[in-house]
Amino acid sequence: MFADGLFIMFAVLAVLGAVGLVLFRHPMNGAMSFVVTLISLAGLYALLSAKLIFALQLIVYAGAIMSLIVFIIMFLNIQPDDLPKEETKLLYVLGGGILVVPIGLFLVKIVKSLPEHSTAIMGGNFGGVKEVGLLLFRDWLIPFEIVSLLLLVSLVGAVILAGKRGTTK
Amino acid sequence: MTNDLMLLMPLIIVGAGAILLMIASTYDKLTHELAAYGSAGIFAVAFLVQLSFCIAGKVAPFSEAFNGILVASNFSKAAGLIILACGFFTSLSSQAYFKRNNFCSSEYYSLTAFAASGMLLLTMAQELISVFIALEIMSLAIYILVGYDRKNVISTEAVLKYLMLGAFAGAFFTMGSAFVYGAAGSTKFVKIGQYLATNGMLHSPAMIGGAFFIMVAFLFKAAAFPFHAWVVDVYDGASVPVTGYMATGLKTAIFAVFANFLVIDGALQQKWITFLFYISVLTMFIGNLIAIGQQSLKRMLAASGIVHSGYLLIALVAVGTKDFTGSVIAFYLAAYAAGTLGIFTALSYLGGKGEARKTFDDFKGLAKARPYSAAAISVFLLSMAGIPPTAGFMGKFYIITSAINAGEVTLAVLGIVSSIISMWYYLRLIIAMYFHEAEEQFDEPAESCWAPACTFVLVLCVFAISLYPIAV
Repeated sequence: MFADGLFIMFAVLAVLGAVGLVLFRHPMNGAMSFVVTLISLAGLYALLSAKLIFALQLIVYAGAIMSLIVFIIMFLNIQPDDLPKEETKLLYVLGGGILVVPIGLFLVKIVKSLPEHSTAIMGGNFGGVKEVGLLLFRDWLIPFEIVSLLLLVSLVGAVILAGKRGTTK
Repeated sequence: MTNDLMLLMPLIIVGAGAILLMIASTYDKLTHELAAYGSAGIFAVAFLVQLSFCIAGKVAPFSEAFNGILVASNFSKAAGLIILACGFFTSLSSQAYFKRNNFCSSEYYSLTAFAASGMLLLTMAQELISVFIALEIMSLAIYILVGYDRKNVISTEAVLKYLMLGAFAGAFFTMGSAFVYGAAGSTKFVKIGQYLATNGMLHSPAMIGGAFFIMVAFLFKAAAFPFHAWVVDVYDGASVPVTGYMATGLKTAIFAVFANFLVIDGALQQKWITFLFYISVLTMFIGNLIAIGQQSLKRMLAASGIVHSGYLLIALVAVGTKDFTGSVIAFYLAAYAAGTLGIFTALSYLGGKGEARKTFDDFKGLAKARPYSAAAISVFLLSMAGIPPTAGFMGKFYIITSAINAGEVTLAVLGIVSSIISMWYYLRLIIAMYFHEAEEQFDEPAESCWAPACTFVLVLCVFAISLYPIAV
């Protein structure tokens, strides 16, 4: 099955990218490894016939947000000497891994219990711009609108935490 | 009078007020004081509007357009009232605080209002994605408020810790929602309830896992054991009015949405009762242990916040899913909010410049120098410890009787034991204030009359809330 093969490939790549993000020492390597995860996620969305989300994932996450992250890392100009020495890193990763194992097993059980999947292409222009738009503005109006409030708060917050403070009045 | 728009009016007033304050803060004419009065005014108007509507049962405003995602009930009304009152007192106590501590800008008050709008949304949201967004609106605004003093290292540490751990909680919540969606096919509470009623809780592992992860996120935000470790440092790092706001408003919103989630269906709550039982016991006793060891007043109050989360979890264990009104939870939250806000308001004008007075010893002899303030603080402490005739006593009384009615006698007894242990650290401050000679005069001039006025209004609230059940 070609679709199954694609799924396995994208899933493995997504996990490997995430592992790389945690293990790489230099932030730039981590960011590059993160791009792999984001692009393979886009592939998974495409397998689910979610056309619009696939495109958005590539344009917004792998494109815009990644370039912002890379831009900031370059802006800080991190040299290998600036990085903290992490001699006990392996220990922490191992310890964390052991802690996560039970949760991981639990998750495997959950995923196994999910109903049978199919990778057949959905009909009726499923996942197209029009269909997603209709769903968004008919059924999900409230979450869509309050996200604007969330963005506003983060904008104000970024200005306050990082911006120049005015003279005290 | 109670049409759909009126039900949303408090939310609209606070949200629009926050945006107005944000725009207005770009003008030099808006001083901090004006911004403080402005936000207090917004909260007061929203409070009165919230008070004015009366509803029976659950009403979904604009259920066609909003798809029944927001639901108003008497419980959400009561929680909203507490949140708006917290916002009002926080604005006025901040005004006094920032007279001495010079790191304010007018956006501070806009963020307070933004946080309140997120909290109001949380109390009404009946759908997991909206709950997530509302949770993040509230948390983001609070993160910024915690880290407002950029030059203070402790404050910066606090915001970093809170942000990182809060992001984890958010991720857990999203993952849980995805699993619940996978099992029930919907994120709306009503639909999840229908699914649970037909299939039961244990039908699908995805439902169990999803509910578990969502609860982890709520327990983290409510500072329950084992997710309590951040509380002491974060409360300590934030400025006094913000700490007060976090301890009261945020906790009210979280427990409102937690209760709403638990009462989706009896099956959901029944399955988690044992789990919540141990969590609430451990939360109470570990919180007490942490509080007993503290020298700093703010850290002690943070740890006592953990203990109070434990009492509220008792109420959640004992809550009945049929005809849920949440009156016990709302009453306890109101009683706790009055006491905690009161003490933080008093600290915001007694703390001195740069919060110089921190430990119990710094407040020695306060009763001689400032008898009224010391008396007010004693009332708040006694209320938090649960001594009659204060609001805290009535709140605990209701929680413990509801636990006994629900058959959870062990939990009720442990609650009483924990409340007796907690006297130790509440009375310690009273002893320091009354039975020690003053080492300093506490005689800096009062720069604002608002914070002391708020403190005394809150003293009245403590008694009024305790008398409310008798009056009704």
